[in-house]
Formats: sequence, structure tokens, C-alpha cells
Amino acid sequence: MSAVGAARLAAALAALLLGSDTALAYQPQVNYMLQCMGCHRPDGSGEPGRVPSVRRTLVRFARLAEGRRYLVSVPGAAQSRLTDAELAELINWMMDHLSDLPATGIAPFTAAEVTRNRRPPLIEVSATRARLIDQTR
Amino acid sequence: MRPVDATAWLDFLVEGSARGIARRTSRRGLLGSLGALLVGAAVVPLLPVARGAEAPGKQGGALDKSQDPTQCEYWRHCAIDGYLCGCCGGSASSCPPGTEQSAVTWVGTCHNPADGMDYVISYNDCCGKGTCGRCLCNRNERDTPIYVPFESNDYDWCTGSDKANVPYHCSTARIVAPAR
Repeated sequence: MSAVGAARLAAALAALLLGSDTALAYQPQVNYMLQCMGCHRPDGSGEPGRVPSVRRTLVRFARLAEGRRYLVSVPGAAQSRLTDAELAELINWMMDHLSDLPATGIAPFTAAEVTRNRRPPLIEVSATRARLIDQTR
Repeated sequence: MRPVDATAWLDFLVEGSARGIARRTSRRGLLGSLGALLVGAAVVPLLPVARGAEAPGKQGGALDKSQDPTQCEYWRHCAIDGYLCGCCGGSASSCPPGTEQSAVTWVGTCHNPADGMDYVISYNDCCGKGTCGRCLCNRNERDTPIYVPFESNDYDWCTGSDKANVPYHCSTARIVAPAR
């Protein structure tokens, strides 16, 4: 069994013991489908005027400390039923697969970082996003 | 005296064999054997063997509702909340003519009893015509109350789309991928 497979099995067993919904441990791609795709669409492009695209912001935000807090504390991420480890894994997957910009040189998100920044959920989402876009121009 | 040549022994052997067969068998016997073979071949398909693969979805002569896309019990409809597009001129995967699929949608998982696997299902609403009104189905597996909004399917995904408050018509249930 690979290290990734062993880690996934351990997470699934831990979740089973805790009686959590995360007993259904999915790959990050499937977690994206279940937690994000309904609004952000399969390619992360969203819907103009209604749902923001992640394709050109994800990597830019991940280069800033405030941007990293934003990515794990936006309501869809912070309030999802994913564990902190699953959320970190999902954002890392999104940077690799849905971004128009390469994620080279960016530190991957970890469960500990998500735990630190996930609460409280962000309230001023649009204003924070606009400010971050200005900072990364 | 018969001439002796190199192949005489072969002629003798074949002749003896043919005469032996003629003594032991008859033309009636041959016809009988052929008849039995033909009848046997015709009877084999009538034997009581399992033919589940021949007619998927049929159990005891009636269509298994979990495999019928026009039924609320269809396996892909496990988390649907709306009118089935299969009853409204479309299908479980496509919108009826004159309607447009909503871009924003609700996504869940359903278990297919036919192959024992779970699948990611996207419940896209079809918008642009008045409410279909046929085959209302509200199963809501894994749906959450509206105060847990990200996993609640109680929203009308047509409202607020590009086409500005187009009416809801029906819902599809598209397979996206296996849920692993």
C-alpha cells in the first residue's frame, strides 16, 4: 500500500471511530465535485456576476498570508463538512488542477494551517476579495 | 490373381471399415440422431438458467423502479427535489426543448444497486418555461436543512441566473463521476 493510500485508510478509520460523516473519505477531486463544483462549475470558472472564478485568484491569493486566510475562511470552505486535513488537501488539488497560473514555489496548505485560519468564517467576502485582488496586481 | 501394388493394403482397409460401418448403422439411425441433436439444441435456451444480464432492471417481469429513469425511485434521484425532466419532455440527463440548464447546481452522491457503486450526481435545474408539474419527486438523501446552506437542495437554481429570474421547469440528475 502506498503512503497516500495508508494515510487515506488511517483517516477513514479515524473518522469511523469518531462516528463522523467524514467516514466517506473521498479523493480531493470528488470533494471538489461535492463541495465546490455546484457553484464554481467543473473548471472553477464560476458564473460571471454571480459566482467568482478561482482560476486566476487561487495561486495569487496563496502567495499572501491574508490570501491564505481568505481561502480557508470563505464560507464555502470554512463551513463545509470537510476535516481540516481534507480542506488543505482540496485547496492544494485546486491549485494544481484549476488554476491558470502555476503553483510553483507556493507552500502547500497543511491541516494545522487550516485549523489556525478556518475560524471564524469570513463575513466581508466580496470586500476582502477585492482588496486581495488589488494587492496582487 | 489380383495384381499386387503398393496401395492395395489401403484399399483393403478402407473397404473393410466402410462395410463395418454399414453393418452397424442404418440410415434411419442417422436421421434419428440428427433429429435428436436438432431438438436438443432448440431446447437448451428454454432451460431455467439465470438471465439477469439480458434484461437489466426487470425483476419478476416488472420493471425495477430503481432502474427506471421516469420513476422517483430511480437510483440517480436519491437526492432530487423537483419535477423529473424525464416526465417533462427531457430525460434524466437532458433538459426538455425550450428550456436551458442552470449553471449553478446542487451536487450529491447516490448508490447504484445494479453495480454496487456510489456516483457523484449533479442535479441541474432546467429553466425557461413554467413549472412542468409532472412527476414531483422529493427524496432528499443527504440533504441538509436550509440553515446548513451548502448542502441543502431547497434552492431554485434558476432564480438569479443570467436570464434574470427565468422560471423553474424540471430537474435532471446527471452522473458526474464515480464517488471514491
